[in-house]
Amino acid sequence: MNLERLPNEEKLILCRKYYLGGFAFLPFLWLVNVVWFFREAFVKPAYTEQLQIKAYVKWSAVGLLFWVAVLTTWITIFQHFRAQWGEVGDSLSFTIPLGTP
Amino acid sequence: MIFFTCLCSDGGGFSSILSSFSKLFFIAGVSSNSVGNKIYINLNETFPCVRLLNATHQIGCQSSFAGDVGVVHLLESEENLDWVLGSGPNPPYMVILESTLFTRPIMMKLKHGSQRVAGVVVVEPTTNPPDGFSPHTSCPNENTGVYSESYGPSYAHCNVTVWNPLGTGLSYEEFDFPIFSMKDSNDTEVLRRCYREHNRAVNGSTPQYPLCAMQLFSHMSAVRDTATCMRRSEIPFSLTPEEVCDPLGDENVWASTKPLNNTAKGHKEGESVVIAAAKMDSRSFFFDVAPGADGTATGLVALLAAANALRNATAELNRTILYTFFHGETFDYIGSSRMVYDMENNQFALDLDNVHSILEVGQVALGSNSRLWLHSDPVSRRNSSVNVEKLASNLHLAAAGLNISLEEPNVTQPLPPSSLQRFLRARPIPGVVIENHQASFTNKYYQSIFDNAESLQLNYSPNLTAEEQLEFVTDAAKNLTEVATAVARGLYLQAGGHPAGMNAVQADSRLVRPMLYTFLVRGKNSWSEQLRGQSSDGDVSSFSSEDRPTNFYIGVHQQMSEPRFMVQTILANLTGTIVNVTKENCQKQKEDEEDVRNKHLYYYQWVQGPLRPNSTERDSFCVRSGVRRFAAKSPAFVLREYTS
Repeated sequence: MNLERLPNEEKLILCRKYYLGGFAFLPFLWLVNVVWFFREAFVKPAYTEQLQIKAYVKWSAVGLLFWVAVLTTWITIFQHFRAQWGEVGDSLSFTIPLGTP
Repeated sequence: MIFFTCLCSDGGGFSSILSSFSKLFFIAGVSSNSVGNKIYINLNETFPCVRLLNATHQIGCQSSFAGDVGVVHLLESEENLDWVLGSGPNPPYMVILESTLFTRPIMMKLKHGSQRVAGVVVVEPTTNPPDGFSPHTSCPNENTGVYSESYGPSYAHCNVTVWNPLGTGLSYEEFDFPIFSMKDSNDTEVLRRCYREHNRAVNGSTPQYPLCAMQLFSHMSAVRDTATCMRRSEIPFSLTPEEVCDPLGDENVWASTKPLNNTAKGHKEGESVVIAAAKMDSRSFFFDVAPGADGTATGLVALLAAANALRNATAELNRTILYTFFHGETFDYIGSSRMVYDMENNQFALDLDNVHSILEVGQVALGSNSRLWLHSDPVSRRNSSVNVEKLASNLHLAAAGLNISLEEPNVTQPLPPSSLQRFLRARPIPGVVIENHQASFTNKYYQSIFDNAESLQLNYSPNLTAEEQLEFVTDAAKNLTEVATAVARGLYLQAGGHPAGMNAVQADSRLVRPMLYTFLVRGKNSWSEQLRGQSSDGDVSSFSSEDRPTNFYIGVHQQMSEPRFMVQTILANLTGTIVNVTKENCQKQKEDEEDVRNKHLYYYQWVQGPLRPNSTERDSFCVRSGVRRFAAKSPAFVLREYTS
């Protein structure tokens, strides 16, 4: 979809949809929001809706960073300690490696 | 209690020589055009070391999933290890050990330097090492016997006698690289030549590429301990359910001199049995290799021959003799612990109240002095109701007039590792274990690949044919016949037979010879073929061992093990009677069309029989015996408690 062809109101509606959608545990929507609307929000010359778009992009970025931090921490802990957690580790795992703890 | 229960293997392993890291290929006379064949030489006749688990540990070896590759290095001496562990420029190395170097210090150094060690290959020598070799622990089944903090604590942990002083404990170490054993054959020569020509450092120079390399595959799926492994095999909602390991187990075999109703489990009123026990398994450091000559086969053959000697005397006995052959005794008494458990839980045809006494036949290979020792448990003997003296005196009476002498070791010596210990854990029962050693084992190759026919001095002159070897009278066979006669007479007296009738009980050396041959030299021969049975679905179950001695390893419970099948067949033929029953009825366990009672008391086997002269047809017949089997898998798997 080419944002150039959309009128500004529709850009705002799209950005808002992605922003709100990300709250449903979908941080990728926020990533898309940030990447896609970055130009619109910060590079293009000002237009009426741009202020709100800027806000959405900023808050999407904040949410994204939060998710990245949480996931990185959890993944690191899990990969490091799964072997030591015994039964709990096994019940949390989708596939368990063979031959190594 | 620790149960060695879980075996993990991913279908065994195999090995191949990768000839170079660069583009050069190694010509080995293979004329196929496949690129693989130009690079690799497959090594045959190799045995891996596999991973085993128990309640707390994992032991054995592991390779990476795609196999481990390393530069070949033939170890020349212990000092040469420095090349592998420190100074060699091309780690990781694949270390080839001649068997004299397969010692604990060297293996421990390799274990700790495992970053630079890709694997180890041990070359199996053609003759046994004269100084002995035992990879087993020095105190076998230390934690699962009867002696513990609460029972005879001064005897626990081999405080009084170290049973296996030559034991290095290598079999119970954990290695994270693969270890294989290779027979000394043409392939080994190829390997040595390759090393000498390409990999050897001469005069301090570093060997340049291309170098000979080797790849070993023996990836093991199981890990950590039995509880973890069983949990991972039984994940209920997994997308990829996988059996990560299998319990070690097979079946125990028993037979009785008087028919016992096997369908009615639990206590049998009025029955007082004498259990005559022997074990039928062994192990070595490597997977599926367990010749177990002195350690297992001698006791087994002696008891089988004794059972045969008593076949006609059973009418004169007022107690029943229960011949029991336990499997898995090497691994923390799998078979006997299961039998005791079944007896305590009314899952067996008898229970412990029915047991009067126990006579166990252990390692009975006779050396030059023909002395056997009657071991008993000093702790239970203090209890006046436990009458070991009667059993011992019966045995002394039995051996009078025979060419062997029976003696008793010091009263303060505990029982050696034996199935009797598991029975004593349940309750004090008078019992004696017959062994050929007074204190420590005389067997220099306990639970190793060298406990074979050669260690028993079972020498057959090479110009004899297989048939002649079967009949050849070796010293070992003669001695074992004497032992079997003594055991048979001892059982006869203990079961209430009159001393006057004792001399009629005599073991037949014409049976001992082929049995020894079958177990220790070649499993498939004319004698064993004629005893083989056919099961009801027509499948002539094979003894499977063709040109090699029996493999006494217990294996996993889904797979039939050779010794159990052979013992069951031999026992049926040696203690049973031939009955005139058609093949169909025989295989359906009945004597005629309307018979429904007999299957509770007897076991019917359709036996192939001897070959008719000048033909390939056999005179088959039906043998009725009291031979039964029951599961020999640790009770831990029944209770699903893997941590005790």
